[in-house]
Amino acid sequence: MLSKKMLRDIRKHKTQFLSIFLMAFLGVFVFAGVGGESVGLEVNIDQYYEDTNLADGWIYSANINDLFLYQVDCLGATTQMERQLVVDSVADFENDPDITLHFVENNTISKFYLIKGEPLDINDEDGVWLDKSFADAKGLDVGDNITFEFEGFEIEKEIKGLGYSPEYVYHASTSSVIPDFNKIGFAYLSYKAFPMDTVPYNVLNVKFDGTPENYEDILSYHMDGYYSSFIPQSEHSSVSQFSEEMDQHRMMGDIFPVVFILIAMLILLTTMTRIIAHQRTQIGILKASGFKNRSIILHYVSYGFWLVLIGSILGLVIGPMTLPQLFYPSMSATYKMPSWDPAWSMNFVYVAALMIIMSLAVSYYAVKNISDEKPADTIRPKAPKVSSSGFVEKLGFWKHLSFNVRWNYRDAKRNKFRALMTIIGVIGCSALLVCAFGMYDGMNDLKEWEYNQINHYDSKLVIDENATTSQINTVADEVNGDKLMEGAIEIESDNAKKSSSLLVLNDTSLVTPTDYDWNKIEIADDEVSISQKMADMLGVGVGDTVKWHIMGSDKWVKTKIDKIHADPISQGLILSSEKLEDLDLNYTPTSIVTAQHVNQSYDGVKAANSMKDMTSSWDELTESMWLLIYILIFFASLLAVIVLYNLGLLSFTEIEREIATLKVLGFKSGALRRLLLTQNLWFTAIGFILGLPVGYIILAVMWESSGDSFYILPSISPTNFLLTAVITFALSILVNLMFSRKIKKLDMVESLKSGE
Amino acid sequence: MSTIIEFKNVNKEYKSGDHILKAMDNVNFTIDEGEFVVILGPSGAGKSTLLNLLGGLDSVTSGQIIVNGQNVESFNDNQLTEYRAKNVGFIFQFYNLIPNLTSLENVELMKDIVDVDINGLDVLDSVGLKDHASQFPAQLSGGEQQRVSIARAVAKQPTMLLCDEPTGALDSKTGVLILNLLQDMSNNKNTTVVIVTHNAILAEAADKVIRIKNGQIESIVINENPKKVTDLEW
Repeated sequence: MLSKKMLRDIRKHKTQFLSIFLMAFLGVFVFAGVGGESVGLEVNIDQYYEDTNLADGWIYSANINDLFLYQVDCLGATTQMERQLVVDSVADFENDPDITLHFVENNTISKFYLIKGEPLDINDEDGVWLDKSFADAKGLDVGDNITFEFEGFEIEKEIKGLGYSPEYVYHASTSSVIPDFNKIGFAYLSYKAFPMDTVPYNVLNVKFDGTPENYEDILSYHMDGYYSSFIPQSEHSSVSQFSEEMDQHRMMGDIFPVVFILIAMLILLTTMTRIIAHQRTQIGILKASGFKNRSIILHYVSYGFWLVLIGSILGLVIGPMTLPQLFYPSMSATYKMPSWDPAWSMNFVYVAALMIIMSLAVSYYAVKNISDEKPADTIRPKAPKVSSSGFVEKLGFWKHLSFNVRWNYRDAKRNKFRALMTIIGVIGCSALLVCAFGMYDGMNDLKEWEYNQINHYDSKLVIDENATTSQINTVADEVNGDKLMEGAIEIESDNAKKSSSLLVLNDTSLVTPTDYDWNKIEIADDEVSISQKMADMLGVGVGDTVKWHIMGSDKWVKTKIDKIHADPISQGLILSSEKLEDLDLNYTPTSIVTAQHVNQSYDGVKAANSMKDMTSSWDELTESMWLLIYILIFFASLLAVIVLYNLGLLSFTEIEREIATLKVLGFKSGALRRLLLTQNLWFTAIGFILGLPVGYIILAVMWESSGDSFYILPSISPTNFLLTAVITFALSILVNLMFSRKIKKLDMVESLKSGE
Repeated sequence: MSTIIEFKNVNKEYKSGDHILKAMDNVNFTIDEGEFVVILGPSGAGKSTLLNLLGGLDSVTSGQIIVNGQNVESFNDNQLTEYRAKNVGFIFQFYNLIPNLTSLENVELMKDIVDVDINGLDVLDSVGLKDHASQFPAQLSGGEQQRVSIARAVAKQPTMLLCDEPTGALDSKTGVLILNLLQDMSNNKNTTVVIVTHNAILAEAADKVIRIKNGQIESIVINENPKKVTDLEW
């Protein structure tokens, strides 16, 4: 019989029960969906690296001969090694795509991941195993022939297989952040396919025991001078780029869903408590008729349990199935990975379980409280709280306030808990909105700052590594450009050690460093400037000294910091070529920037990139971010509607009688709607104002954790600030409109029957 | 004395599925200005239906209700709201005061719906509650709350006071005080008072007694010499 009662109760209060269900569902859906995306990336990449036995490190040397192998083997820590010749080539296509060729002696480390064709055969002289993304972009297939040119050789091979490589999850040219699969690729060939008898191996893939630092110490101790550099797995450009991408996803996957589920849970629990509180008299009746406490508690606890359970399970299943699919397509345009599957984490289950347990606990507590009272008391409605005139009411102006204001003030005062919940709900929603719009503005600021405030050139010519000084100077003169040297450095302070970038810059109007406020700053010829974020990470300031060396060289130098500049995407040092040479380091320009638009090719220039190319690659890179931001805004708004509607509904049930009385007395529906709207707007305003700093803090945390190379200050533009306000208040008014029908349909007669 | 309320052939039917319930079956009566009217009948006789129709809370199936020369039965929702605001002072069994407002504020609230120039304190004084002006309903006894509710109804200066079992939730002593107050309003201030009750004793105090049964008028009796409420034997 009781279960019949439950079903009828649920039908009668279907909106409230629906919102319980929705909140449980949405909370878990978003949590598991957004989480499933970032966990999915991790699981997929880990699995991929494991399946293909990605190298733990790479040792570079001009000539890796048998003696070299013997020496590395003698290090002890080395568990597995394999040498190969890695060489840049140009494939025979109109756009001269860059294909990195790997001539391998064996392929058990960083294995080629075959998708189509026959497995890599290290004795096959005629075959080539090609990058599938490149092949797809060019319409190549197994059986086709392809020609490569490198270092004076020209080889034509038959494509035997297509696939991916764990070393090329991210693979972009030096000139653009975004990989263009039409222009860049890689290929694996047997060492026998090399056109000479002796292969000048230059890379040694190694697997080793212990930490990379430890291995590098051993390596440099025993083999100093025999090799040019060692790169551990974590610093490999593909690996580190993808892990940074994952970091970005993880930080959003952490903060946003947590905030979201907290709000959902809060409102869920409030609703359940309230629903039970409304059943007070019924609990009294059940008790009076002889039901055991235990069966009453069981009855009411099971009220929400089933809905929360079903909602959570659906969220757990549907979230990871749908949300990641929104992100993966745009990501797979940048990264090359064989599988893009959302994954599950036990964390999702724990969170859902927590939600279910909390709802059980809260309803248990609520029923227990009521059923512990004597049935004689419970059977009567709870005595109304006695209002008292507080400080505000004693002030002179109180009497002049309208009924609307007075009523709402007192109502809020009498129902502090409900008021608090509404405000917290609004805080959460407006914080999420601020956060979403702040991300939007941050991304735009970054673009404007980097590509308009700092860099003013039209084209950037990437200098070929083999170009001569005279070639470089000729080109620079011809395009009326300025030379830059960009490189990777490792920098160390007393507190920390970081990889960062080096920019060698002579006085030019085409690249103008700025401070964090976008004001141009002058860096004199004898000065060294460090970026704000790098300075923060290293814990150094102006006047301090840092130690650094250019990657690939082991010559450490010490410099004093004279200035601090700020840059949104590149963290490191800026100095002049004069200063560089003072430090006894070679000045080797890597690019030429010019205000002219360069279309033609020059000797000694590898590629020309226009500013337009770069900004459009940036736009492409941020595509998945936009998507995330839209999803954020959508769910924050949805949550706001549910929270406001739900709490509105709860308070409506509580004041239904009063509203009915007012209606009987002759108040017009419009006036009553305004009565409810007033309170809604007050709470929305308070929540909104408090939500701003909260959103700002979340935003700051997000940017802070966005990876070592990004430096974005949390800010929100006036337009978006306004938009946040408009959305928040529009939702509040929308919810109010939903109640106008309820006011119209309110049964006056029925509401007046019941006693107080 | 002029007729102020008239029911002409009023029918009210409630449909539930195929079943039709006749709650009001061809009801005719009139009430004069300043009359103290008691409507009597057992449970389910149609008292509440009559009251709801008269109070503008429900509409007739057929027939006419004329109040102050207006055809109430033809009003739409907005007009009904207006009608309730201007013509009807409700007094409920359970008082229905706004718990968030003090006694005085409950009374002065009426200024928000009708354009009357009243002093809330004076009205409270007329029901003997001037000293309780700043107290909230929950701080008052049942009888006091009902007096505030009378003050609230009177404050509108309505055409009629419509009372639904006004003493139903009170002890008999307090009930007499409330009824006495209502009778005084009728006698001294020429206010039309309509009381719906199942308590037959009150009949002796009424100017007019309308008895209803099964949705029909059973009898209408006019007392030439109504007794004072306080003289009744309870």
